[in-house]
Amino acid sequence: MNFVALAAANPMDHVYQWVYQRAHLTDANNVFTPNGQISVVSNHIIMQIIAVLLLVLLIPRFARMRASGDSVKDLTPRGLGNFFEAICAYFRDTVARPILGEHTDQFITYIWTAFFYILFVNLLGLLPLEPITRGLVKSVYPHAHHGIGGSATGNIWVTGSLAACTLIMVVFNGFRYNGMGYVKHFFQGPIYIAPLIAFLEVVGVVAKCFALTVRLFANMVAGHVLLAVLMSFISLSYTGLGAGAATGIGIVVVLVSVAFYLLEIFVAFLQAFIFTFLTTLFIGQAVVIHHEHEGEHEHAREHGHGAVEPAHAAPH
Amino acid sequence: MQSIESRLVAVGVLFGTTASLFASEGGDQPTLFTGDLGNILWSLLTFFVVLVVLGKFAWRPILSALQKREDFIRDSLAHAKHDRDEAERRLKEYSDKIVAARSEATAIVEEGRRDAEVVKRRLEEESKAEAKANLERAKREIVIATDTAIKELYTLSGKLATELAGRILRKELNPHEHERLITESINELQEIEAS
Repeated sequence: MNFVALAAANPMDHVYQWVYQRAHLTDANNVFTPNGQISVVSNHIIMQIIAVLLLVLLIPRFARMRASGDSVKDLTPRGLGNFFEAICAYFRDTVARPILGEHTDQFITYIWTAFFYILFVNLLGLLPLEPITRGLVKSVYPHAHHGIGGSATGNIWVTGSLAACTLIMVVFNGFRYNGMGYVKHFFQGPIYIAPLIAFLEVVGVVAKCFALTVRLFANMVAGHVLLAVLMSFISLSYTGLGAGAATGIGIVVVLVSVAFYLLEIFVAFLQAFIFTFLTTLFIGQAVVIHHEHEGEHEHAREHGHGAVEPAHAAPH
Repeated sequence: MQSIESRLVAVGVLFGTTASLFASEGGDQPTLFTGDLGNILWSLLTFFVVLVVLGKFAWRPILSALQKREDFIRDSLAHAKHDRDEAERRLKEYSDKIVAARSEATAIVEEGRRDAEVVKRRLEEESKAEAKANLERAKREIVIATDTAIKELYTLSGKLATELAGRILRKELNPHEHERLITESINELQEIEAS
């Protein structure tokens, strides 16, 4: 009985992906298609779709909210439009422009999309939808154990896909803007160690995106697991110590959980920002290639060629 | 940063190994790494839907608004700078003009004062000369009047002498009479002169 209660209160349940329906795709049995099947409907997939619906329905509406009247008011957002435009303006002016310089506006839609996509998925994961939707899910998929809920960014396949998008953006735009110069900039140093450096650089590019994957995934999982563990103390103390102790522990746990929940809201924003910021940085490293090395840098500075940073290209 | 990233990579590799261990166990119980190609496809699909739809309906208006606002602010600043420079230029121009006008006014006042001085001096000299002329004329008239009086006196004395001579001729004169007549005549003359 005790074991069953523990199992039911497994704090990891909140972060797992619960697949409701699979589809047979191929005969190959590997990590991408276990038993030749792929997931078609799962709690995380539904959360992603909900996030997309919210994004598509809400943001265009708020984006068009403008005070109108005179030439100045036409340029001013109104109401919640302020919220989105302030974030967008921050990313454009403070994050992207110092890194991407003149290329800012070519990448800014990707940057904004990445941020808001991750932010919405992160925040939706904080909503306690699972107990509410469990019945609904069971009515459609009778064998399902878990309702809709959880953070899709707590799924390494999702964060991996997003990081893969970043990797593709980095490599594709590296070639697009620099051609073979992009390949050349991997080969640094004397000729006899250049291939080794190039190999390490390529590994570095992939590793950076892998780090993006793991960072977002681990942060989202950690917060949810922490909250679930805190909550499980209540049922554990009830089973082990009785109702009186459980009430006392419950009060403390709820207060601490509220604090952590607030922290999680912050983390949802923070991780979305970090993912987006690093994506911008990696794209910037590929698109705006510095041909100067340390010595040449000083040399250039001595001769008054100060504009070696892309930030100098910004029109401020 | 680099060390944190490498640590994260190490954790990821560790998680990956455990994931494959769990995955090989099989069964319906999900793990932390449950997922497959379906998740990748759904993630890419949802992400690209958001990218395309928001790109068209949200980011384009926001970006154009931001660009417009940026241009507007840059233009306004440029205009303000231009206007300020223009205002400063005008201010300098007008201050120069005021300084010039002030020195011109001072010059005019100075000139006026000088002219007035000249006029005053001339008037003084003129009036002095006139006064002198008047005096001269008065003196001349006095002389003329004196001459006329003397002439009249002579005429009268002549007349008196004639009259006196007639009287003397009509009478025999003794020395006393003679003396008395002369005294009388002189007295008469003196009386006439006194009158």
